[in-house]
Amino acid sequence: MTFYEQEINRIREAIYSNEGQVNTAIGIRNFIEQNYESDLNLEILSKMQFVSKYHLIRLFKQYYGQTPRQYLIDKRIAKAKEQLSKGMSVTETCFAVGFSSLGSFSTLFKTRTGSSPGAYRKAQLSRSNSKS
Amino acid sequence: MRITVLSIPVMDQEKAFQFYTKKLGFLKKKDQPLDGGHRWLTLVSKDAQDGPELLLEPGPLHFEPCKVFQDALRESGIPWTGFEVDDVQAEYDRLVDLGVEFSVKPTEMGTVKFAVFNDTCGNNIQIMELL
Repeated sequence: MTFYEQEINRIREAIYSNEGQVNTAIGIRNFIEQNYESDLNLEILSKMQFVSKYHLIRLFKQYYGQTPRQYLIDKRIAKAKEQLSKGMSVTETCFAVGFSSLGSFSTLFKTRTGSSPGAYRKAQLSRSNSKS
Repeated sequence: MRITVLSIPVMDQEKAFQFYTKKLGFLKKKDQPLDGGHRWLTLVSKDAQDGPELLLEPGPLHFEPCKVFQDALRESGIPWTGFEVDDVQAEYDRLVDLGVEFSVKPTEMGTVKFAVFNDTCGNNIQIMELL
């Protein structure tokens, strides 16, 4: 067994030995993955996993390094980039990935990616056109 | 300040280029001649072509401590770096079919699944998937 494998086993023992917690965290992530476009909130997530809202945030952060909210936003932005690249309009994209306000979507998108959804869409489309 | 280039030390740039493009599936982004036959050679992933570039750097050939560090990491099984994939098992199967050798088979650890392979250029590389 290599040094790396020994270390991995040690770390697994140290931080992933609580199987119940790990499974709860995985359950939360799977739910976000499958329902990112709906109106997700902590209330829904905590009812589904039978844990308090505060415990849920702490648990998720412990095992994924981000809060559920941060994870959800990253997921939505990634999906928005996908849709915009395929040519979906900015407004359609905004609602398709779960945002409820065009203004906050545009601001958030620009903060995260450096360009507005419209500019991003245009750049991606012109690139795929120039390729073909 | 932006993170645009990350490097990986390789003994042979052309060999690394073949492995990283043909087997791993990365795309060439920049290829600029430097002195002594070396190149500023960077790659990007297919689905993030505007994302960070991976520089294939011939460091171990020119700077002994780099080679010493690279050898020590490889011998202890420690990955130089890791790449994210959607499905570790599927990627493992695909790479094994292409003759890539793994030192760690797909393994679950809490909220991640990972595997480690030999890049044939001096490094262990990890692939990982969030569970």
